[in-house]
Amino acid sequence: MNELVDAVIIGGGIHGCAIACSLAQKSRQKILLLEKKYLAAGATGRCAAGIRQQFGTEINIRLATASIKKFEQLQDELDYHRNVGLLQHGYLMLAYSQSELKQYQENALLQKQIDANNQTSLLGVDEISEMVPQLNLKGVVGASYNPKDGHVDPFLATDAYATAARRRGVEIRTDTEVTDILLQGERVCGVVTHKGEIIHTPVVVNAAGAFGSILGKKVGIDLPLYPERHQLLVSEPLEMFLGPTIISFFHGACFKQTPQGSLILGVGDPQHEIKALNERSSWQFLGDVARKLTYHMPLLENISVIRQWAGLYDMTPDAQGIVGETGIEGFYLDLGWSGHGFQLAPAIGQIMAEIICGEKPFIDVRVLSLERFARGELIPEPYCV
Amino acid sequence: MRVIQHPILHFQRGREIKFTFNGRELTGYEGETIAAALHASGVRALGHSPRLNRPRGFFCATGNCSSCLMKVNGIANVRVCITPLQEGAVVEVQKGKGDILATD
Repeated sequence: MNELVDAVIIGGGIHGCAIACSLAQKSRQKILLLEKKYLAAGATGRCAAGIRQQFGTEINIRLATASIKKFEQLQDELDYHRNVGLLQHGYLMLAYSQSELKQYQENALLQKQIDANNQTSLLGVDEISEMVPQLNLKGVVGASYNPKDGHVDPFLATDAYATAARRRGVEIRTDTEVTDILLQGERVCGVVTHKGEIIHTPVVVNAAGAFGSILGKKVGIDLPLYPERHQLLVSEPLEMFLGPTIISFFHGACFKQTPQGSLILGVGDPQHEIKALNERSSWQFLGDVARKLTYHMPLLENISVIRQWAGLYDMTPDAQGIVGETGIEGFYLDLGWSGHGFQLAPAIGQIMAEIICGEKPFIDVRVLSLERFARGELIPEPYCV
Repeated sequence: MRVIQHPILHFQRGREIKFTFNGRELTGYEGETIAAALHASGVRALGHSPRLNRPRGFFCATGNCSSCLMKVNGIANVRVCITPLQEGAVVEVQKGKGDILATD
């Protein structure tokens, strides 16, 4: 069976769905989204669901600030039937040295320069203790805090985009894996699915996360992308007691309470984590989390774990996304977000649609181009967990 | 009715001991679970559903279903169906999802 569409988006995570939704709003063309499993089956549905403006690079601050504003309006903008689980309880990023605190101060200044309404402030130990009295403050010298950072439900947000996209005429096909991308010279002309179907299209968007490097090879592009497993666990629901999301980059630990009352707990261990397409959780992780989290908050020692799981970061050499056009005409990239992609999807969805339509994107994302690696113009984002 | 045998837990009945349920003094046996002692004393509602506040009782009896989460000695969300009864235990019906900050 041969069919013809105007654009194929590969990947049914929040990025793929947001791109499809924005693109369908801009044009009446036939847009097809292909997902090999089900919507949010990959990194989106496995992420820690955080949204924050407290980044250390200009591009991430711009994208995050715009995205949080969009998340705040998402239910209305997409005419979704329910709230997408938005909870702006703030992010508290702990500093364990003066140099870390100084860096937070510089980040806060940069955030204010970019967005005059940014509310990031530095807190002293007393203020932290007042905000989260149960926190172990041993070694803590201060913190960076923004009250507008917080939580969005990844499943609901993805469904909100997918539902709106369908309403705007996008076709979403799940359980459909793209096994090949067809070229005509140096331009894209179609994709092949695992069922052997050929779909002709002049536009292919690779939003397949860590699996995107496989698709890159199909058109002869060797993406500087590797998978890195990260793990999370969720506790039983408790009455709301924890204000902000707590992050310690020093310990590689992060925890928060979701609107349902469950705690989501994560420990980053990039040095030892598996760097392969492995989405299985490990029993070592349970012990690591238990040790680190009861150190930060001894009060948590009696809570029960409900479930643990793993997901894949799509890591790049500078831990930043790869966005936009490539050397292959009609082949676009939106991947490589290295663990902070979920929260940037609202802005990136719009930007990708603008780029595909040949317009000037509302945020200049040229620093995130694939060419930056060849040119050696890396823009490391140090504030990832 | 008293649980004497259980498919996965051993009930070695020991001496009779006292404990409290919502401040009321009850008796049970060492070696049985808190839920078994409560059930034998006629207590049927162990908690309430979080959304509709309907009574929740003894259900799976194997620590899986979360129907019997109670506050025991000040600790929230204890699965009383698999927790052995101890002398002087303070067992209470908890409010809501379990208040981790409560100190009483």
